[in-house]
Amino acid sequence: MNLVGLAISAFIGRFAYAGYSAIASPNLLRLTFAFASIGIGFALIAGGLFIETRDLSRGVITAGLGAQAVGYLFIAFSHSIKTFDFAPPRYFAFIPLAITPFIIPGNSIEHLVRSISFILLVYVSIETMASHVQNRRTSTLMIGSGLGLLALAELMAWYNFVYPGLFFHVAIAVKVGGFGLMFVPFSKFGLTSGMPGGSLNKVGGV
Amino acid sequence: MYRTHVSIIADILSTAKQYSYEGYENGATVTHLIRKANVPHQRLGSMVSHLMQSGLLYEDSTKYRISDKGIMFLQAYHEFKNFAESFGLKV
Repeated sequence: MNLVGLAISAFIGRFAYAGYSAIASPNLLRLTFAFASIGIGFALIAGGLFIETRDLSRGVITAGLGAQAVGYLFIAFSHSIKTFDFAPPRYFAFIPLAITPFIIPGNSIEHLVRSISFILLVYVSIETMASHVQNRRTSTLMIGSGLGLLALAELMAWYNFVYPGLFFHVAIAVKVGGFGLMFVPFSKFGLTSGMPGGSLNKVGGV
Repeated sequence: MYRTHVSIIADILSTAKQYSYEGYENGATVTHLIRKANVPHQRLGSMVSHLMQSGLLYEDSTKYRISDKGIMFLQAYHEFKNFAESFGLKV
């Protein structure tokens, strides 16, 4: 499942990079960094599962989760410098802050990283849904829902800390489901668009 | 509403395309570009010269026409604009 996540992240990241090469948009560069980082995270998590030494395996998986948190940070950063034509309700901004005391544990770096990822994903999901309210695009709704599923997956993975073994596989399935939901609108652009030799590659670079 | 640099470039190229092919074969004047792209004359001048250096636009007897590369840029712009908007972002 981690490898499926890696493949989806690589495709979206590659497409975002093709967009940056063609039209030099800073937001597309941020999306490139985001999905590259998320893809590296999936690769590290998948690699960590094959390491037999328990501490080393845990360290590699935590590094993977950290890389994914950095990826979510890049997406969140892209949203934070955007302006809306309408003002979302102010209480939206307090939702992540209000739930932070309940989800940040102090005894594990892994779960601390998961908490940060969760907060970033909730923020990004709300921002994307707010964009959907503005533009009414189905693709925005699907990506917002996908990001919401990723946040749910992080919450379930953290809940696995309370009840070990119960939610781990469900959390990974929900996470890949979230990426799958994000991939559906992306797939309409065509998997080969922006690939080397494609018509959209390095058109202007303005 | 805030417009990014690349969206202003797309507006300039769209105007040049409109006046190059779509019933206006002579190309767009500076006045057309200023009116449709909604940018000051001084800023438009520097952007147009940059677009001409990049080969996206060319001058034809004091009027501006979009090049084939410019049309490809516009296609790419619209595709990646849709992609970014799916994430709730602007290009």
